[in-house]
Amino acid sequence: MDLVLLLQRIFDALFNSAIYSSLALALVIIFRSTGLLNFAQGEMATFTAYIAFVFLSGPQPRLTGGGLAGLVPGVPFPIPLAIIGAVICGMAGGAVTERALIRPLGRAPDLALVNITIGILLATNSLMAQWWGTGPRMFPAVFPSGAGQNFTILGARLRYSTIGVWAVLLTVLVLLVLLLRHTRTGLAFRAVSISRSSAELVGVRVGPTLMYGWALASGFGALAACLSANSVLLEPNMMLRVLVYAFAAATLGGLDSPKGALVGGLIIGLSQTLIPAYVPFIGFELSVLPALIAMVAILLVRPEGLYGTKRIERV
Amino acid sequence: MTSIAPQRFSRLGIFGVVLAMVGLAIIPFVTSTTGLRQASQIIISVLAVLGVNVATGYGGMISLGHGVFIGVGAFATGYYVDGLGLPWLLAIPLGAATAALSGALVGLPALRIKGIHLALVTLGLAIVFQPLSKRFPKFTGGVSGKNIKAEFVAPSWWPSDTRMATAVYRYLFCIVIVGLAMWATWNLVNSRFGRSMRAVRDNDTSAAVYGVDLISARLQTFAVSAGLAGLCGALQIVLVPFVSQEIYTPQQSLVIYATAVIGGLGTIWGSVLGVVARTVVGAVGKAAAGADGLGPIGEFFDLLDQPAFVFGVGLILLTFMFPRGLAGIKRPKRTTG
Repeated sequence: MDLVLLLQRIFDALFNSAIYSSLALALVIIFRSTGLLNFAQGEMATFTAYIAFVFLSGPQPRLTGGGLAGLVPGVPFPIPLAIIGAVICGMAGGAVTERALIRPLGRAPDLALVNITIGILLATNSLMAQWWGTGPRMFPAVFPSGAGQNFTILGARLRYSTIGVWAVLLTVLVLLVLLLRHTRTGLAFRAVSISRSSAELVGVRVGPTLMYGWALASGFGALAACLSANSVLLEPNMMLRVLVYAFAAATLGGLDSPKGALVGGLIIGLSQTLIPAYVPFIGFELSVLPALIAMVAILLVRPEGLYGTKRIERV
Repeated sequence: MTSIAPQRFSRLGIFGVVLAMVGLAIIPFVTSTTGLRQASQIIISVLAVLGVNVATGYGGMISLGHGVFIGVGAFATGYYVDGLGLPWLLAIPLGAATAALSGALVGLPALRIKGIHLALVTLGLAIVFQPLSKRFPKFTGGVSGKNIKAEFVAPSWWPSDTRMATAVYRYLFCIVIVGLAMWATWNLVNSRFGRSMRAVRDNDTSAAVYGVDLISARLQTFAVSAGLAGLCGALQIVLVPFVSQEIYTPQQSLVIYATAVIGGLGTIWGSVLGVVARTVVGAVGKAAAGADGLGPIGEFFDLLDQPAFVFGVGLILLTFMFPRGLAGIKRPKRTTG
């Protein structure tokens, strides 16, 4: 086995790992607080990537979505500003979704929640297809990722973009931990996650707290989409497959564990690159299969994943 | 609470059936071969929606991946008639049975994975199906698909063999098969098995206590549900002798799921209503998108031409307003004594 090649593949995989971790975190934040798997997370994230795209490219004729950009002063924005703007829009969108579509349902059965998220997925997906077309669009690289823009470690190239993505992810994670540990909102969020009814009894306002949770989750989703839009090309279905990886990552780590999401994303990212490389049948396109199999296996054998809380059902 | 008692025909139901039959009888006289084929395609899509209904509405297992079973049914039937040279009337049930078998395989994890997690697994399946089927070009024709050389033609006793006559034969064949499948499903869900299926849905622990074999109930439910979708796939290639992975997108699976929910889960007629609603929405949307000269508002009208958009929004609205779907708007809640 060629060790340099192996190292190279691991370095390449790290970029995707960060994206999966980020989206998995979004899923975990929502599952932890609401017990809901947000199937629309990927599409919501893709939508924010299109918002960033509009911020970057400015108003365009014949595009309803692009035309809206004419209302924003100062477009086109530089890349960091466009992404921050998109993340803020995504957070607002997440909060509105919770308030308008999830909270009114109350403690609805799984089926109703699935219906809502699938509804959002379908509607958002076709909205994007209608406004921006189904063809892929160029999205600029956030970090320098061209030829030669890399460190060389033991003969393998570690791209600046990989380091950049991880730097962003870790920074945001530190901010998240600070938020959860040292603010009242964070405390309320943790209380609601542990026991919704107990939190309610001691006076935590559950609704707004969950809204913050959705905003945070959508922020992570938006970040994942904006950072990966350059490599997977911006198109309406771009996050669909990424969503499977992210769900696999979240399941592997334990659906209610943020640490698990990070570790799960790392493992799934590595396996997504390494398995196709050494198993010819899988190939690049089918690399989503091992992720799905891993997900099913974990749900069957150890539903709480690596770090999740064991669920005990009361009969 | 959904009723465990068998559903009976209401006066409204009989009226609906008569109306539908008259409508179906008129169609061949007023349309072309293409129109007839499209009508047949709409009619057979009831089967796939019914499949979701059996799994989700009666069995309580959310399936977001029924497009997969349609695909399996189509690919298998295509292989049986072309690769093995079997007659159509044997290949179609075999194709559906193959899909049922694949459904039972998918149902295996469903023995332990429930609710929202099962929904996740089936969605994953819907996403993995396209790239996976490209790997088996012998059955699927790979990336670009393949033509089925054997054609489904009318038997010798059929009065004519013009293109129109063949189209009419295929149309009637589809109607008969769909009718038979609906009748069989109706009987099944009102049989002892159907009652145990619903008991498992409502509370699996108590169902087990009352002597329902959970494993076989879940597996059989999933198999029947996938078999119905597979039958839809088999009839697809009766109508158009071509298979390709291209049409089995995850979105298609989700639209089928949405159709089942919007029509109404837990009633056979709900699935028909869902398909009718989808057809009406499609037609209205096309007309609305064709209206020009509305300026920027016109672009929003164009959205109506995206059935996925209308159905996504419809799914959300109905979940709030009529959680029992279109079929549940009129009917008062019935409870058992």
